[in-house]
Amino acid sequence: MYSLWTSIYDRGQDLSCSTATLEESDHHPDQKETLMTLAVEATALAKRYRGKGGEVDAVRGIDPAIPAGSVFGFLGPNGAGKSTTVRMLTTLMTITSGSARVAGVDVAADPDGVRRRIGVALREAGLDPRQTGRELLRLQCRLYGLSAAEAVARTEELLRLVELEDAADRNVKGYSGGMKRRLDLASALVHRPEVLFLDEPTTGLDPASRLTIWEEVRRINEQGTTVFLTTQYLEEADQLCDDVAIIDDGLIVRQGSPAALKDELGRRRGDGIAPTLDDVFLDATGRSRARVAGDVQEVRA
Amino acid sequence: MSDTTVLGGRAVRESLRTPDALIPTIFIPLFFPVVNTGRVSEIFRSDTTAFLQGRGYAAFQLPTSLLPAASFGSSALFLVEEIEGGYFDKLRAAPISRVSIVFGRLWSEGVKSLVLTALMVAVALPFGVRIAGGVTGFAVLLVLIALWAVVFSGFMQLVALKSRSAAATQAGSMVFFPLLFITPNFVPRDQLSPLMEIASSFNPVTYLMEAAGSLVLDPSFQWAVLGKGFAVVAVAMAVMVALTVRAINDYE
Ligand SMILES: Nc1ncnc2c1ncn2[C@@H]1O[C@H](COP(=O)(O)OP(=O)(O)OP(=O)(O)O)[C@@H](O)[C@H]1O
Ligand SMILES: [Mg+2]
Repeated sequence: MYSLWTSIYDRGQDLSCSTATLEESDHHPDQKETLMTLAVEATALAKRYRGKGGEVDAVRGIDPAIPAGSVFGFLGPNGAGKSTTVRMLTTLMTITSGSARVAGVDVAADPDGVRRRIGVALREAGLDPRQTGRELLRLQCRLYGLSAAEAVARTEELLRLVELEDAADRNVKGYSGGMKRRLDLASALVHRPEVLFLDEPTTGLDPASRLTIWEEVRRINEQGTTVFLTTQYLEEADQLCDDVAIIDDGLIVRQGSPAALKDELGRRRGDGIAPTLDDVFLDATGRSRARVAGDVQEVRA
Repeated sequence: MSDTTVLGGRAVRESLRTPDALIPTIFIPLFFPVVNTGRVSEIFRSDTTAFLQGRGYAAFQLPTSLLPAASFGSSALFLVEEIEGGYFDKLRAAPISRVSIVFGRLWSEGVKSLVLTALMVAVALPFGVRIAGGVTGFAVLLVLIALWAVVFSGFMQLVALKSRSAAATQAGSMVFFPLLFITPNFVPRDQLSPLMEIASSFNPVTYLMEAAGSLVLDPSFQWAVLGKGFAVVAVAMAVMVALTVRAINDYE
């Protein structure tokens, strides 16, 4: 059987960044002594919003464990709690209960330590419209402690990486959605983070721009950065992620590699038809194809 | 500190790139003094009006231009735009002191106000307006007005942080009207109607205006008047900083 950890484990070898460790299980009898580092680990992580309209339990106790060096996909229907989880892990929001460590650092105890080790690109591609791409990256470099000279060099490097050299001196206001996402991604990389958080990095992008972002994510990951991404696109998760977790109504309902999850569903159904990650998603969130497709009645016999 | 200056540099850039945001900052401060002076300068003649201390009514009106020019919440509007657009979260995710995100803009508001105040005094020179306190008086005036600009912008940024709404922030900047017009901006306090005199005594801006006015009109430094002006700014500054630090640390 495809092991959850195999691909990640192999890549995890040359990573020395994180400090959290986990005893390797009996999946790898030959590698029993090796320790595996975790880039993100949480225990009973929960978030309760208190507002005028009452309380919302957006995240209700989740325990993700993400090996260093992997690409992790966080899936779930709208309002499931994906962004809330990302905002807690990136120190943007307080944790209601439970705990989380990112790159070996406790999020609640040392938020600044976490901020130094992570890169963040959120769904809105929040960028300052009145700066040029180049100015924005340089500022970002300075905020992460690079000297003025280092900032200049790193900015040029990143502009090349995300292919924005030609637009570098234009105000961000005039950028297309795809250009903004690429700039946002570059700005999350100024300090070569250990863990990169991407909240819906490709939502609203055309297929070509989406592929460009995928390539960037792979390249970043190959250089050793752990990637935590949320997405609405199951194909994206299937293509990019070593592991996925499906969250529904604040709880993780499935977790594993896309292949393992599809296998499991295929075996359970026993109808000989290979399920897609879509099927896994629908199965896990209790939504049937018949219900989702409505009149089309796209039910597999 | 270096985060604040780096972010302050960005805020200066942002102001320079949005010259239209300066239009109200220039228009209102010019409008009222010009109209006021035009209406009454024949009544309040320098030779017959004691409170002018021998100077023209235009000189008396100078603080009425300088204070509104320093009381615009453009930095708060930039901040709320940043909150709505998501860049604020990007900055909050960076390993910097979160206070510097807000204080960077205040730094730039102070610099902007220094430049603007100096320009407005220069514009007033051809109309016969002189600073009685001389070069020292001018310098003190610049500092006083710039500090007020920082305080006012700080409170507006607080509204932005708390409301996270552009409409609320815009509405909040309207406090500038009662603050600047329930003051002895037209005649000195003792010549206001009794009700207005009491109301203006409760308005901190009154003391600022009187301090600025004394620098413009009186060659001898009125320490008591100046002291009250600076004390008002200092207290307001302390309150603003304390509330801002709390607001940004509790923000999520
Ligand atoms: N600031 C807030 N105050 C109150 N409730 C909130 C707040 N932010 C999110 N929620 C609620 O928390 C739940 C989870 O929201 P969240 O944004 O984490 O979902 P999501 O999985 O990212 O959804 P989407 O796919 O739409 O981005 C939702 O029910 C949402 O209404
Ligand atoms: Mg979301």
